[in-house]
This record gives sequence, C-alpha cells and structure tokens, in this order.
Amino acid sequence: MTDDYEHYEAVVVGAGPGGAAAAATLARNGIETLVLERGVDAGSKNVSGGLLYAEESSPYTIDDLFPGFREEASDREVTEHYIHNIAGRNVKTFDLHDLHHHDTEWADSVLRRKMDSWLAREVHEMTRETGGGLLTEVRVNGLLREGAEIVGVTLDELDPIKADVIIGADGVNSELARDAGLMDWEEPDEWFQGVKAVAQMPEGAIEERFDVDEDEGVAHLFSGDLFENVRGGGFLYTNDQSLSIGTVFHLDSIADQRAEPQELLDNLLTHPLLADWIGDEYTELEYSAKLVPDSKKVAHPSPYRDRLLLVGDAAGQMQAQGPIIKGMNHAVTAGALAAEAFVDAKSRGDTSAAGERYVTKLENEGVMDKLRPTRYRTLGRLGEVGPVASAMNAVTDSVVGRTAISALGDRAESLFNSPFLMGMLPDTRMGYVTVPTVVAEQLGSPVEGESTVEPPELDDRIGDLTYDVDEGNPHIELRDNSFAASGTAVTACPVSAKDFGGGCYRDEYVGSNGTEEHVVSLDTQPCVECGTCAVVADTNWTHPRGGKGVEYEQG
Amino acid sequence: MPEIDPTDHEIAELGPKIKDVDDADELREMLELEESGEDRAPVKTLIESRIEKLEEEDEEVDPSSADLDDMTVADIANLVRDVDDVTVLEDMLEREQAGQDRKTAKGQIEDRIESIEGSEDEAGEELEYVPPEEKHPDLDHPTNDKQWVENIDGGTYRDMWVYCETQHGELIDVSREMLGKARELMDDYNDRYGVSDEVGGSEDSSSGGDEDGNPEDVVAVLIGDGASDLTEEVIAYGADRVVYHEDDRLERFRHEPYTEIFCSMARAGGQVADEDHEDVEWKEYDEPRYTVFPATNNGRDLSALVQGELDSGLASDCSGLYIEEAMISNPAKTGKPGDSKEFDRILHMKRPDFSGFEYSTILCIDKPFRDFHPQGASVIPGSFEIPEADPEREGEVIDFDMDLNDDWFQVEVTDFDTLDSGIDLTGHDVIVAMGRGIGDAPTEGIELGLDLVDAFDDAAFGLSRGVITSSYDFDGHVEQYIGEDRQIGESGQVVEPDVYIAAGISGAIQHKVGMDESDTIIAINTDPDADISGFSDYYIEGDLFEVLPRLTEAVESGELAAAVAEASDD
Repeated sequence: MTDDYEHYEAVVVGAGPGGAAAAATLARNGIETLVLERGVDAGSKNVSGGLLYAEESSPYTIDDLFPGFREEASDREVTEHYIHNIAGRNVKTFDLHDLHHHDTEWADSVLRRKMDSWLAREVHEMTRETGGGLLTEVRVNGLLREGAEIVGVTLDELDPIKADVIIGADGVNSELARDAGLMDWEEPDEWFQGVKAVAQMPEGAIEERFDVDEDEGVAHLFSGDLFENVRGGGFLYTNDQSLSIGTVFHLDSIADQRAEPQELLDNLLTHPLLADWIGDEYTELEYSAKLVPDSKKVAHPSPYRDRLLLVGDAAGQMQAQGPIIKGMNHAVTAGALAAEAFVDAKSRGDTSAAGERYVTKLENEGVMDKLRPTRYRTLGRLGEVGPVASAMNAVTDSVVGRTAISALGDRAESLFNSPFLMGMLPDTRMGYVTVPTVVAEQLGSPVEGESTVEPPELDDRIGDLTYDVDEGNPHIELRDNSFAASGTAVTACPVSAKDFGGGCYRDEYVGSNGTEEHVVSLDTQPCVECGTCAVVADTNWTHPRGGKGVEYEQG
Repeated sequence: MPEIDPTDHEIAELGPKIKDVDDADELREMLELEESGEDRAPVKTLIESRIEKLEEEDEEVDPSSADLDDMTVADIANLVRDVDDVTVLEDMLEREQAGQDRKTAKGQIEDRIESIEGSEDEAGEELEYVPPEEKHPDLDHPTNDKQWVENIDGGTYRDMWVYCETQHGELIDVSREMLGKARELMDDYNDRYGVSDEVGGSEDSSSGGDEDGNPEDVVAVLIGDGASDLTEEVIAYGADRVVYHEDDRLERFRHEPYTEIFCSMARAGGQVADEDHEDVEWKEYDEPRYTVFPATNNGRDLSALVQGELDSGLASDCSGLYIEEAMISNPAKTGKPGDSKEFDRILHMKRPDFSGFEYSTILCIDKPFRDFHPQGASVIPGSFEIPEADPEREGEVIDFDMDLNDDWFQVEVTDFDTLDSGIDLTGHDVIVAMGRGIGDAPTEGIELGLDLVDAFDDAAFGLSRGVITSSYDFDGHVEQYIGEDRQIGESGQVVEPDVYIAAGISGAIQHKVGMDESDTIIAINTDPDADISGFSDYYIEGDLFEVLPRLTEAVESGELAAAVAEASDD
C-alpha cells in the first residue's frame, strides 16, 4: 500500500553543504522540501580537512545561497598558502599563492559542526515555509521502489516517504548511491583517507605565531619523507581558536603498507617544523577521520537514477588539484544545480527529466571537467602504470633527476603553482614522496628546534570522543572474519591498531589443540564511521541509526 | 525598464526578488527581457506565476452583482467572508434561491448573516444552547454514546492528579519526576491564585488556591496488585493525597480495568460519579483540574483512554509544563466572534516537534456549553528532575473501594516474556573483572577469574567490552559467563564494590567510568604503562595466568582480606 506513504515534492538526504545548497535552492523556488539528517545535529557526523573554496568560475557559491555564511559559519579567510617539502629535518617551502588564488573568490577555514548546524538552521527556516522542514536523528537506509523504479526513501525510524525528486547528499559512504548501484566500495585506489586532529590554541596565539590579523588565516601543506613512503600529504589550517592538522593518504597505499594512519598523523604533529606553531602545550580537542573519493576516478559522469540525484561526496565529487583538495565547493554547486534541474524539469511539466538536466548542467557549468580533467584521463593514468611509474621515480631520484631539480631552483615553485600541471600529476610515489624529498634534500635547509608535542594515544583519542552507542545493534557486520579477508582493517582503520584491544578491529588467534586460526574481531563502539573498513575488509557496512554512533563537536 | 533585469541574476536570487514586485506590467517587461535574453524556463515560470497571482488579487468580485451560478460553494464561502452588509447578503441569498438553490451555498450565506447580526447585538446577550442533534438533524450522532459529553458544564475542578506507574511493584522513575513537577506547580499555583476581594472566601487571607481560596493538592493515583506498599513513597515525593486501588488481577497493566478505575476515582463525589461513589469523604468536586501521565507505553495507552472517557483532550509526549493565563480570541472558545477572553489557571503543555527545533504549546480550554477538564498531559520520561524524597512528609491515603467487573478482564494474558534483566553486578563486596589479557588462553583465563570469585564470600564476575566483542573461542563450560550482561563500563554496568580486581584490563576511559568509584582497585597487567596503573590502589605487574592462582590462594587462606582491610582503614 505505497499509496498511503507520505509524499513530498523533494526529499533531501543529508544536511551537509551539498544537501543544504539543494534544499535552499528548492525552497527558494517554492518546492515543498523535506531534509533528513541522521546526526543529532547537522555537522555532528561530518568531517572535512577544513578549507572551503568559493570559485570565481562557479555558478553558485555558498555565500550566494546563504547570505551571512562567512560571518556566522566559517572561521578565517585563508590568505596565505604554502607547501613544505620535507626530508628529515630539511625543509624547502614553496609559496602556493598562485595555485591557491587561481579561480578563487575566497577560501575560508571551517569546522563542520559549527558550519553545518548553522546551515541547517537556515535550511529549516526556508524549507518549513514550503511545507517541509529539516528533521534530525532520522536515518534514510535505502530507496523505495515501485516495480523497478525509485520513488522514495526508506528509513530506520519512520515509514517510507515518497518524493518527486530525491537529492542524495548522504556523503562519501552514501547508502543511497550504493543501493542505486551508482557507487561501490570495491577498489582502495579510488579513495583517500583523511585523519585530522583539532588542536586548541590560546587566545592571540594564532595571530602571533602565524603573523596574521584576527580575521586572516594560513594554510600549510606538507609532503616528503615524513610519512614513510605512504602516498599522501599533510595539512595545517588556522581556525578561529584552533588548528586543524591532518593527513590525507591514498587508501590503497595505507592498505598495502599496513600503515597506521594515527601514527602518520603523529609524525606530522611531532615534526620540528610545526613546533613553534603548535607551542609547548598541545591540547587535542578532537580526533576524526573520513574517506575522500578520488573524483578523477570515481566522480560519476551521470550521477542519477530515476528520481535520485546524487550530489557531493555521494557522487564522488571531490577534486584533488595537486596538493589542494576541493570538495565542499563542488558539493554546493552540484546541490544547487540538482535543485535547479528539478525546478526546470517541473516547470516543463516532466519532473522525471531532472536527472538528465542535472547531468547537462554539471557538464555545461564545467563542474565535470574540474572533477575529471581530460588531461588526467589521457596523461595521468599512464603515469600510474607500474613500469612507467617506477621508471619516472628512478629518474627523479637519480643523479640526473637531482641535478635537474637543483638546476630548477626556485623555478620549481612556479611549477607547483600550475593548476594545469597539478591536475595532470599521476598518483604515484613520485609526486608525493620522491619529488618533495629530493626537492628538500637539494634545495632545502634544516629547521631548528625540537618538538615537545606528545600526541594522545589512540585509546585516549577514542575516549575523548562522544558516542551514543546503539547497544545490541552493531551497524557494521563482518562477513568474513579471517585475517586474510579483513585483517587490513586492523591497521588501516583510524581507530584500530595492531596490538591495541580497544579499537574496532583487533587481530586474534583462536582455536586450540594445535590448530590456530588468525582472525579479526570487530567492536563497533569506537567507530568513527569513516568507511575505511567497507573498502579494505569484507563487511556489510551501514551507518548507525539516527542519532546513534559518534558525535563530532568540531568536525 | 523594469527595476530588475532578470538576465542579470541567477534563478536562486530571483525567487525572493520577484516576490517583492507588485506591478504586473513591470513583471511583463521582465518576462520580455528574459525571453529575449537567456530564456530560462524556471525564470519565466516564476515571473508568470507572480503575474497570475497579482491579477487574481485585482479581479475583485462584487458580491452584489456576482453571478452565483458560476461560482462553487467554496468561492461563495470566500466571497461572503468579506461582506458586512446584511442587505447585500440577503440579496445574494435570494439570487441563490432563484438560481441553483444549493443548500450548502445558502448555509454559507445564512451563517454569515447570522454572525453579522449576532455581533451587532448588544453585549451581554447569552448564547443559547442548541443540542447538536437539533442543530444538525441530518447528521448521525456518534457522540451520543459518549454519555458524559454534555453533562458537565461549569463543573468544579480541583487538584493535579498524577498517575504513578509501577513496574514489578516499584515506582518507575518518571512517576517520581512527575510528582516532583506536580508539587512544584501546585505550590506555585497555591501561592499565585489567592482569593480576590470580590469573592471573599476563606478567612485566612494568606491562603490561596482555588476560586474560594482553598489550596489545591497533588493527588497521586496508584493502581496495581501491590499499590498499598507504595503510598508512603509517593507522599515522600510530593503527593498530598494518594488514591489507590489494589487487586491481584491488576498485577500487570490491562488497559480496560485501569481506565475504569482511574475514571471512577476521578469522578467520585461529583455530579457524574458512578453509583457507588456518589458520596466520598475525600472529594467533592466533579473531576480533576489537571491530570498528568507518563508517556511510557502503558502510560500513553492509559492517558488516551482516560482523557477520552472523561471527555477532555490530551497533550501527549510533553516535555514542559507550566500554569498561566491565556488570552484567547477563538470564537469557539470565547463564544463571541471578535472578542478576546482571558482564561486563567491554564496548564500550558509544551511538546517537542519532530525536528526538535520547534515546540508546540498545547492548551485545553473549556468552551461554551461544554467543559474540557481535566487538562491532561503525558510526560516524556526524563523531562523533569527526580525530587529529593522527604520521608517526613505527611499525606492522606485513600483506599478506593471498587468492584471490578469481570468483563474488564476478558482479555487474557496467556503468555509473556520477561526481557532478560540479565545479571546485576552491583551491590557485591568484590568484583573480579577480566580483560583482553586473557587472549592467549581465553578459557583458562575465565576459569582463573571464576576461581577467584568463588574464593570470596560475596563476589561477582565482570568483563571488559573487549572480551565480549572478541572472537575468542571459549569452551562450553565458561561460555555462559561471556555476554553483554556482564560488561562493566560506559555501555555496560557501573559498579562500586569495596574491592575491584581488574585482570588484564588496560583501563581505557570507557571502562574506567564503570568502576573508578570502587573503594579499592587492584589491577593485574603485564604492561606497566597501561592506563589502569594510574587509577588503581594496588598495581601488580605480572601475567594474570600466574598472579590469579596465587591471589585465589591468598584469599582462601584469609591473607588478602586482612591486607585489604588494613589498607582501607588507612
């Protein structure tokens, strides 16, 4: 009796920037819009590195859609941007000014709990005018179908809801995208994993230590040998009263090298280069993690099915432009375009055409080309093919390569600032490790000082997080608990570690009388819902029910 | 040129802008600009619908000349709303009679005439009561079988009644919370509503309360097989009076008898009392002024039935209550369109909306010829603080005598499951808890822990979460001890025994919060840096497989008890 289900013109799943942008645009056009958010508060489930860009070429920016956004919801405007190439103590710093400002109207540091909860209040006000509103603690768990056609959503807490359009803005681990067959969790090389610590700063310390005004901020990026050959890099952004310090790695690299993400983050936190910025007192407010889609590989060229339109991370819309990662701005654009597509389709009397129109808009507005640059498709991929990659790597590290880089000198800085080159770089060890390391060794100079930072142990990091555990309802199920199938999660999971019993994944030997089996066990209590184990282990992965699980205060 | 050139703007910006344009011609110019420019379909729709709306507003229909035959009844209803001239209306009525002669259309016009003529009358004219079956002779009257529907008008109401739900013969927390809140509300009520000079009232001018200046009470209602055992407790939590009914058949909640009993109590001594309770010593009023129920499964069930039976309303799942005046202009309540009237002593019942962003405040107010009392709410558990019990408090206890009709027990409970209440680890002298240190030989580790438990007179066996969620392969004879009901910590039980022995537990914060109030903590761990070393009184660095047997031996020979007793005396 699906006819009895409640119906809205539009249902938006997820109250992040993509969902908020979609809902705001729908509401402005008088579309009856219901927004569903599984967290206790919007932002309580959301993490980002922390830089939100507004691009000049973009048809929508967040402050267009939400006047007052920058005053109320973001932290500092990032006015300076550097990358540090590190080899041991040797550091060579390049100013990324040109790359940072390329097509940039502004870029602000943000903390997602503050940002998303502000957006959600705005969205609630706007959508309730249309007869809808925003509900928190409600988890959409799948798609409602009539025959084969998607007509609505199913929920843990409520009866199914039908809609003329469903905006799937439910994040990187989108259950809707997976239900619709538009995304999967199969290949680790399609994902990055980000881990972040938010560190408290005394009043006035940011202005003093980073030499900025009260409303200005700095972004620092880090690459080189401080991450033990794992492909990726680090970042440090200044918030109003805290620092966001984190690392982002290719998930396949983390998995293959059995790397412990929290230790790689600690390598960054304790590097002497950061000692003066962090200061003598290191107070970690929050430890967090998230998966990041590699849009070059997974940005869906046609992110819709029937009435379901995916936006943001759910559609893989996350651009790594060399060292600069842009995600939230694309989610905002895509959200607004998806809404616009529905409004157009409705005014033409055929709401079922919304998906096609959305795809056309993504192409026409240039979003798709940013996410999947043509030049990467032709050149970059080639560079990742095994023999080519190792040959390039060997050349760079050879005397010839070293001489070339020395000869380049400060001209290397301008190469790093080319958005064209950065979009083409293959994802190999060369770009992340070898080049920066050689640059630092040949061109850099040693940093003074010692770090006194003592990052918390993993059990304390977990202990400091807030959880509402859904007792008796673990949201992740291990399908195969053999170490061979799921053991990678013990190291790759950001809240698990080898020889640590308090994490999600623990390796154990069971059996007696000589036959011993190497297995893993899973406790979802400390889970931060990043989705890493969905990719690297054999699981049935879902989000916890509405309001349950981890609650980020910073995000 | 119009002020706004739509081609300069994004669609999202245009929505609100267009809404502010009130000139249809200007909008038409905008439309042209858009058509010759970007020609975006949604923009055109926006502008067109705005034009349509404005023109609709302009197309005022003149009621004295309108062709009623062309109009639907709804149109007529809208039209007459703005007509204040009775001659115009009477003219319309004639035209309708001459035309389609629709009864519903005539009704709309007649109602309007009536309401205008009514309001022109001098103030003070009494409304006349017309029973519903006379007023609407064509309707069925399903309300007929609600026998009390018209019986109370201008009744007397007093007190706040609190339904105190019990489980397994004990009050549940929300009952205590409601008693505390009721006490606070009625104390404030009695302070605030004193005797007005006009009425006179009681001699003691300091007293306050009802309209005659007599204080009103908190009345607790207890129904169940062991209700009499709890009367003192509910008084201690704030009741002035307890009315209870006890019967073995009421061991578990059955909504029919519970509803009958509650309603019989509520009506006793008043004008609608049942036969056996027309005169009771403890109550003279008709019905409670306020009722409060817990919004539990059973409380929701009972509250809906009771309030329905007493012909009032119910604000369900409330999280806030206060008593205040309310200024009401709804003619259904005031009896006169256009008049506002202040109602006092109104229970304001706040309930959260779905999203938690908004609250609705529900009021339950009498209307002419029909009272809506008791003003009733069900309350979400945890909304109010549990008050401090005052065992010295005194109150009146009423054993409510009543024959229970066998018909009320027709539903038979044939089978039921008790949710596994599990194992209670609290209240023991000693707890032995095991952690992942048993990993090398899990079964043996559990056995050693159980041996130590047996060595004490009163000890219980607990586990860290890490063991419960492990994939350890336990032998059958110890498997029964592995379960979430033995978990100690944040998501398990919180214990504070005299002695807590933690073997192979690292002491993560989630575990610590479940045990760190214990008097003496003894930890056994191979890792001297384990967190637990920081908050244990005795720290034994060693392998639990070696240490536990020796500890068991020491306890059995009495050495440990002596050592601990000595230590805790310090």
